[in-house]
Amino acid sequence: MTTRAGVRIGIALLQLVAVSVGVFVLTTFLPGDTAEVVLGPLATVDQIDTLRAQLGLDRPVRERFLDWAGGLLHGDLGTSLATGRPVVDDMGDRLSVTVLLAVLAVVVLVPLAVALGCYGGRRPGSPADRIITATSTVAQAVPDFALGLLLVALFALQLGWLPATAAGTVGLTGLTVAMLVLPVAILVSNQLSRLARQVRIGVVETDTAEHVVHLRRLGLAERTVVLRHVLPGGVVPSVQQFARTVDGLLGGVIVVEALFALPGIGSGFVQAVQTRDLPVVQGYALLFALTTVVVNLVADLVSAKLVPQAVRL
Amino acid sequence: MTALGTQAPPVVPRRARRRGTVTRRTLRALGIVLLAIPLLAAVVGPFLAPSTAAGGIPLQGPGSEHLLGTDVLGRDLLGLLLRGGTTVVTLTAAALLLAYLVAMPIGLVVAARGRIVETITIGLLDVLLALPSLLVLMVLAATGRRSVVWLVLAVAFVQLPHVVRLVRGAAAAPACVAALETMTMTGEPWWRVRIVETGRRVLPPTIVDATTRVSGVVGLLSSANFLGAGLDPLVVDWAVVVDQNMTALFLRPSVVLLPAGLLVALCAGTNLLVDDLLERRS
Repeated sequence: MTTRAGVRIGIALLQLVAVSVGVFVLTTFLPGDTAEVVLGPLATVDQIDTLRAQLGLDRPVRERFLDWAGGLLHGDLGTSLATGRPVVDDMGDRLSVTVLLAVLAVVVLVPLAVALGCYGGRRPGSPADRIITATSTVAQAVPDFALGLLLVALFALQLGWLPATAAGTVGLTGLTVAMLVLPVAILVSNQLSRLARQVRIGVVETDTAEHVVHLRRLGLAERTVVLRHVLPGGVVPSVQQFARTVDGLLGGVIVVEALFALPGIGSGFVQAVQTRDLPVVQGYALLFALTTVVVNLVADLVSAKLVPQAVRL
Repeated sequence: MTALGTQAPPVVPRRARRRGTVTRRTLRALGIVLLAIPLLAAVVGPFLAPSTAAGGIPLQGPGSEHLLGTDVLGRDLLGLLLRGGTTVVTLTAAALLLAYLVAMPIGLVVAARGRIVETITIGLLDVLLALPSLLVLMVLAATGRRSVVWLVLAVAFVQLPHVVRLVRGAAAAPACVAALETMTMTGEPWWRVRIVETGRRVLPPTIVDATTRVSGVVGLLSSANFLGAGLDPLVVDWAVVVDQNMTALFLRPSVVLLPAGLLVALCAGTNLLVDDLLERRS
């Protein structure tokens, strides 16, 4: 177990190295001149040369990469071209909003997915089961921004119940619960299907399993059978899916935050892309990759603990 | 659901199951309708569409000249709806086709060539999974690589790890291997057995898998377009139109909601039908 965990952590570290190389390649190594793109078509040759020197684009690739990677090890991601602030400072402010969103989404999502998956899984093939599956599949298929617009049109414009945007808030100040309802709803609807489906499959399997059928024959109360025996068996295989869900939530915030002008890392990233603020783009790309690697690492370790044979290393 | 040999009591009473079948048929019909509308618009629409030249009066209401009114740039909304689907559908098809054309051989070779090749390839591909797909597209856009070609390449690229894994898994399926062992023993060359023959057998599940990825790719492409990180703003595309008209959401919601609704119908319809397909196969 310990060696396995060690190997898994080693793989995660290798992935981190590979990902940082990937981000570097993606932003600097592909054909095309970054400085020209950042400054736009009206820039003079002098301006382009200055920015190139500032970004270090005039130096050899190997040197640039070592420099960048060296900075990473010290937690230095460079400074923003737009604001002149260190990229790390900017991230800290925004991270709180995104984490709050993700936590709220998980708090709503998990009980809902378990309840729906369990309800459908105990009646496979019934109208209720099919409608639950179909609704959540459709909700997942719909692009975030399109669903968001429909919800805004309904709840903010038509009914006037909820604010359409969180524009004007900085960090967590000024953020109200009402502002978070629609963003959380979109995040949940996007992730619900996969998780509920996984729980459903687990429940269908355990619900018809030999030992559960036997427990029923013994005359145990249905409540006890479901809560103590069917549900745990159905939920354990969903841990891996849950990790992907958390990861999806963190990745999914890009669109949702941009749509509602929530000041989190997602909208920070979108802004950086729009203003061509390269150091910030690199920083956020790394942050998103880092969360994925860490979340998957934790999920693998946890599920290895729950079901030892689940992870093949 | 096949209970293995044992006589498990039917979980659902027969009547409920029959009602379940009715629900299923209804959902399938709904899926067909939902998918048909945007697909028809995308395929036939461009031939029927009125001109979408900019410069008319912006945000006009529906009238005789413009059946559904105009958008913020003064373009005919009906024209935008009829022309805007072609890009989504073509790009989705192109990206998926490319992804499967590249991933199929990789997956087959990986499955055929043993543990070491397998571990290295899958390990490398897994790194790709650590980058959210939308992020890859946006980083490309931030560094000025935002032509149609880059878009298709990037979307295909982020599908690779999933597809290679799928093909590898399908190629290693026990039934497949048992049937092919005979061929190996009769002295057929390895590529004939492991690439050509296995490939033929792996094709059906691969095609099914491709259909499950359609709505994801549509969502990815349209999200990128919506965030201004995809197609050129001059291209008429549903998601681009939504992005351009966001400021008019309060004034004239239909300009935003109609193109968004078509995208919703496309994704929802696809997934309803795919679900139905998957269930019929299992």
